Amino acid sequence: MKSKNARGHSAGAFKALSAAALAIPGIVSQVQAAAPVAEAELDYKASAYREADIEGSKLAAGSASRYEIDTHQLRFISPLGRASDLAVDLSYETMSGASPWFIMPGTGGGKPVQVMSGASIEEERKDIQTSIGHYFSQKVSAKVLLGFSTENDYQAVNMGVEASIEIPARELTVTAGIGFSDDEIEPTDPGMPDRIDSATRTSTTAFVAIAQVLNNRTAVQGGLTLVNNDGYLSDPYKKVWREDLSNTVADKRPNERQQVIASARLRHYVPSLRGALHVDYRFFDDDWDVSSHTVDLAWYQNIGDNWQLTPSLRYYGQSQAYFYGPFFYSARDDGYASSDYRLSPYGALSFRLRLERNWGEFSANFEWESYRAAANLAPDDVSVENPGLVEFDILSLGLNFHL
Amino acid sequence: MKLLIPLLAVLLLPACATAPLDAWDRGYLARPEMAWDPDSLSASQRSHVYFSKEASSGGVSAGGGGCGCN
Repeated sequence: MKSKNARGHSAGAFKALSAAALAIPGIVSQVQAAAPVAEAELDYKASAYREADIEGSKLAAGSASRYEIDTHQLRFISPLGRASDLAVDLSYETMSGASPWFIMPGTGGGKPVQVMSGASIEEERKDIQTSIGHYFSQKVSAKVLLGFSTENDYQAVNMGVEASIEIPARELTVTAGIGFSDDEIEPTDPGMPDRIDSATRTSTTAFVAIAQVLNNRTAVQGGLTLVNNDGYLSDPYKKVWREDLSNTVADKRPNERQQVIASARLRHYVPSLRGALHVDYRFFDDDWDVSSHTVDLAWYQNIGDNWQLTPSLRYYGQSQAYFYGPFFYSARDDGYASSDYRLSPYGALSFRLRLERNWGEFSANFEWESYRAAANLAPDDVSVENPGLVEFDILSLGLNFHL
Repeated sequence: MKLLIPLLAVLLLPACATAPLDAWDRGYLARPEMAWDPDSLSASQRSHVYFSKEASSGGVSAGGGGCGCN
């Protein structure tokens, strides 16, 4: 009897200690969503995105200079009372440069060559995304999201709701959500031949994700996402070369697109190295016959007490849409046609390096990414490479303040 | 059929269930670099860029709208 009481006291003490420990900010696992944010934070990031000029041998006409985008991002998160939190993300982008317009057959049986738009594109984009999370208990939480973005020729309103349920006995968190985006496009220069005046499209997303803690150093997450796009999904600024016409026609894609995405993520901490391994994989498949694999590897290496260095490597490989071609000899039976490099078969490698310095309540980070797309990186053999495939670098400076 | 393996992997994840960890055993999991996205601004910017330059997009989130990106 005495021993039973002692065990009872001991179990009670452990339970109380566990509860107390869980109440300490930071003890709640980063890979579970058990509590609202403990303190307000402000993040700022400035980024310079620069696409490499298109090679002279691939350029038929237009500007060789491609896109340059400068981005400013601001993120504010804060507790809202004892059981809720708020996140606001603002983004402002200015864009300039030229983009691929259409592709012509190479002369004398040579490789196809790209016709670019003039370098006169000047645009800006403003985006605000907000979310409010509420934690009904230590096991159940929900989040409502609302966003709006506007560009010279594009407006999008999006909303969504997500819910998470934790099952502590199994170290499992199940999250599910639905989202909706209502977009409107009003192309500039609507008087140009084949260019629409305006159009709309909608996108509906539903996902479920399961996060599992495997041990005190490892967590994994699996996710399944379904997306339905409906409306005008063509690109009003791109055209397609038709040999039988010796002229171009408008880019034309189906008005529906169903996508399925399966993802898996792993986080593993190695105490002896004071570093964390991130492995992310995504499989994508849609009814345009585009199928892709994405693998992202990152290693977060802590150096001393205040520095962190993170090298990352990402591979992306996709198959082509069924109505894609660099150019067309005649019209397809279904009337669809696109020469957009983003619908062509290719692969891409990107390398990132991130350095962070922490001063307690304040930290700064610097990040560089180099991205290169090429047909010979595609999962399957590609007979004709799209000449518009992109190479870019991004330099970013980020600041974080604990308020 | 192409989706069968990833779908099974997601559905079988709960089979990896482990015994509950004590609160004081969560120190490594609680480290900032163990978050799914330790730098949310960087993650959202990268996601936006890849969305603009690749045919694939999407993940486990209900947020975000489209853009007229070229």
